[in-house]
Parts: sequence; C-alpha cells; structure tokens
Amino acid sequence: MCGIAGIMYKRSRSRGLAPVGDQLVKMLETMVHRGHDSAGVTVAGESLKSDLLIRIWADESVPAEATISLAKETVMRAGGAIVSAETQDSYLRLAVNYEGDVPRLAEALLQTPGVVLHSIGETSEVIKDVGTPVVMDARHGISKISGTHGVGHVRMATESKIDISHAHPFWAYPFTDVTVVHNGQLTNYHGMKREYESQGHHFQTENDSELIAVYLADKLALGVDLNTALEASLDDLDGTFTYLVSTRDGMGYAKDRWSAKPLVLMETDSVVALASEEVALRSVFTEELDRTEPQEHEVMTWSA
Amino acid sequence: MTTRELNRSIKAAVAEGADEIVIKNPAARHNIAVGIRQSCKIMIEGSVGYYTASQLDGPEVSITGNAGWALGENLMSGKITLSKNAGASVGASMRGGEMFVGGSAGARAGISMKGGTLLIAGDSGFLTGFMMQKGRIIVCGSVGDAAGDSMYEGTIYVGADVGSLGADAKYEEPTEDELIELWAELQRSGVDGKPRFRKIVSQKKLYHYDTLERLERTLI
Repeated sequence: MCGIAGIMYKRSRSRGLAPVGDQLVKMLETMVHRGHDSAGVTVAGESLKSDLLIRIWADESVPAEATISLAKETVMRAGGAIVSAETQDSYLRLAVNYEGDVPRLAEALLQTPGVVLHSIGETSEVIKDVGTPVVMDARHGISKISGTHGVGHVRMATESKIDISHAHPFWAYPFTDVTVVHNGQLTNYHGMKREYESQGHHFQTENDSELIAVYLADKLALGVDLNTALEASLDDLDGTFTYLVSTRDGMGYAKDRWSAKPLVLMETDSVVALASEEVALRSVFTEELDRTEPQEHEVMTWSA
Repeated sequence: MTTRELNRSIKAAVAEGADEIVIKNPAARHNIAVGIRQSCKIMIEGSVGYYTASQLDGPEVSITGNAGWALGENLMSGKITLSKNAGASVGASMRGGEMFVGGSAGARAGISMKGGTLLIAGDSGFLTGFMMQKGRIIVCGSVGDAAGDSMYEGTIYVGADVGSLGADAKYEEPTEDELIELWAELQRSGVDGKPRFRKIVSQKKLYHYDTLERLERTLI
C-alpha cells in the first residue's frame, strides 16, 4: 500500500503561483498511514532564474562532498554554467544555464561516481527522502515552494528496499519535467526492464515503479503524446496500478483494468486535485467537496 | 477528537439510549460509526472515508456526502443511506439490512454479499456483485464489465447498460411482478423512473455442493 496525491492550479502562470509544496505535504501527511517508509514530491511550474534545475543525491559509495564536487565539475565540463548550488546533507540542488543536449548532460552525470540523478527539470524538481512527509519537509523546506502543479507519494515498501533513491517520484530520464508516482505492483517488471535495458534505457533502482517512468520516456521519445502513452500503458503494464504523472505543462493519471488501487478526483474551474483518499483532499480544501472516483482502465490529463 | 474517541462517544450515547446522534464535519475520516449492535439513529453530516458504518447490526445511518471504500461492510441488519457517491466495495460481505447509494458506486459493489438489499441510484463499476452468495443488488443506471462474476446465488438488477457479464453469470427475464415490486422499491427510496431492469443470476456451473460443511453433514 502507498498513497499518491496530485494538485494542479489552472492558468496559475497568469493568476500567480500557488502553495503547491505546502499542499502536497499536507495531503501526504494525512495519508501517512498508507506508507511511512519514504516520501517524495515533484513541484512543477516554479519561477526559476536558470534554464535547468538538477536534483542529485550522493549515494554512500564515495563521500558525499566528493560526489557533489564531481557533479558540479561534470556539469561545467558539459558546458553548463552553475547559477546556484545548494547542498543539504547528501543532496545537491543545481540551478544551471545550459543550452546543450539534456540527454548528454544527464548521461555525463549518471557516469559520475556516487551520483543518483533524481531529476532534471526546466520548471520542476523532485525531492524525496526516507521517513514521513513532515520529516521530509523539515529537512527540505518543501512547504515553502510555490508552483503551478505537482505530485507526491508516501511509500510502504513491498517490492524493493527502503532508501532515498527507491522513493518516488521517478523521473522519466532524460525527459525534463516528466515524473511519476505509483501505487501498486507491476508483475511484468523484470521482463520489461530487461527489454528496455537491452535498448539502452537506464534504470537507477530496483523499484518496479521506475519502469513506468522509463516506459513513458520510451513512448515520448517515439513522439507519442502523453495521453496516448498513458492509454497504451493500461495494456502494456501488467499488475495493479494507479499512477500520476507530472509534466512541464500539467498532470494526468492512469488506472489499471482491475480498479485495484484507489483514487478520488476533485475538479473545479480553478483547480484539479487527486489523491488515494478523500481525507487527503480535505486536508487542503476544508469545505465539502464534489468528488468522483475514476474507474478501471481509465486515463485523464490536464494542462496547467 | 480522534476517531477512536468519536466511536467510543457514539457507543456511549447509544448505551444511554440516545434516539438520534448527529456527527458533524467528519472530513472524510475512516472508520466512523463502526461495530454498533443496537437500534439507533445516526446522522453523519458530510463525506466519510473507508469502512464507515461497517459491522453494524441494527442502526439506521444516514450520510449526507460521499463515502470511501467498503461503506457498510458486513452489515447484519439496519439501514445505511448515502446521499452521494460510494467508493469501491460498498456493502462488501453484507448479510442483511438495506443500503442505499444516492449517487454512483465504484468497483466491486456488493462483493461477497450474503444477504440484504443494496440499491444504487446511479451507476456501479467493474465486478459488481463479484462472488455474491445471496441478496439483491439493484443498480438503476449502468454497471461496468464482469457483472456478477463468479456469483453463487442472489440477483443483480440493472436499469441501463451492462458492460459485460462476468464468468458464470447469465441474464434471466424478470417477471412483471418483479418489475412492479422493484419500481415500488425505487419510489419508496425517492428514485424516479421505471427502468426495464435486466436481471443477472448465476449459471451455477462454477461451483458444486457435493462437499458439505461439517454442520451440514451432521444434519443429514
């Protein structure tokens, strides 16, 4: 069991950014009974002063200081100009001006010892940690981040180990701003992973949910639009799943043919909110809601 | 007030003979008003979470709002009325009593139902009546795929479209008397219209009663 949540403010770029980080933390904390092993969010649509925002976690294979230093060197060697670099324990948040090829930059970072690449975004960043959403917020200040939309996850680990890199969201490497949170289990994970690896795709973890990010990246690379990719995933992925995807321009969901994992949806003229449980929506919207429950074999996407 | 404190307060009020108990602003919390085994009237003003009004034997519960998964799970007797939409598995394993959903229900409505009546004014999702063993499910709107999958006994009535029949389910023609009785039941529940209900029952090809339970063996 895991809990997922998403929120998107319509036309918020013209109306002003919304407290998406704060609201995601609230929604996730309300669902912490669905998983307290790890938590994570993608906040998208931030107002940035750089071309790219890179989120890196230094694993423990080499000292964190060395990894962080090497990561910065890698970015500069690839032609990136570092606008700001913030470190928090083993985390590195780099704002970078970069006009080159993002997959090339991502590949260079992946080859850097100790680097786990959580995300590269033009308007978004992935922040994830072990522990509960409130603990994560205290360390990373997520509730201070404004944006247009975002998705989040609380994890009860069932298929792979508990650590920072196995937490959600998963980035659809190397597509900027495409990230996924998933509730469920994928039973054709190993077969599809082997197939994708043979085609040159990267997996950074052994978490089955990462397959969805790689799957979407593969479809997007083929020129498939997001909605079509989500629809195709309903038949290509086997197992139980409800997942949310956040992109540069909006978000969407896909729900498996068994309707095995919960999701409630609330939509008004100005906001779309999704969560595994209504109680999460009520942590943000205090009044009674008109909400629906998406059914089996269903996808939907929205633009911010 | 925690949910545990709330449920203890409800039980204390019922034990003291309260006629009507009103719960305000439930904020979609789970497990409200569960395990009550006496007649009483409980009104919940607002949407509720999972397992609301589950394991009841006697109470009359009305909810103005939506409900999460497994509303009224294992209802023995009494009545549950929900004004809006129910999540998945509404009325799971209910053995008696009545349940009314004013909106639509999610997947697996009436799963493993063993008695009573589940009336849904709107639509119902995938696997409606999955493995039901007794009782009636009345859906005024449409049902999703695999309706009545692996049902043993009992009846599902559908007022509009059926996505598909589940394994071992079949259609049966309802009698005029049955339809008249159903329409009267809708009227009593405040549902307009007289749909020509389709009736779904078990083909009874999936299961066999050649192995009796211990008690049944001693009775023969």
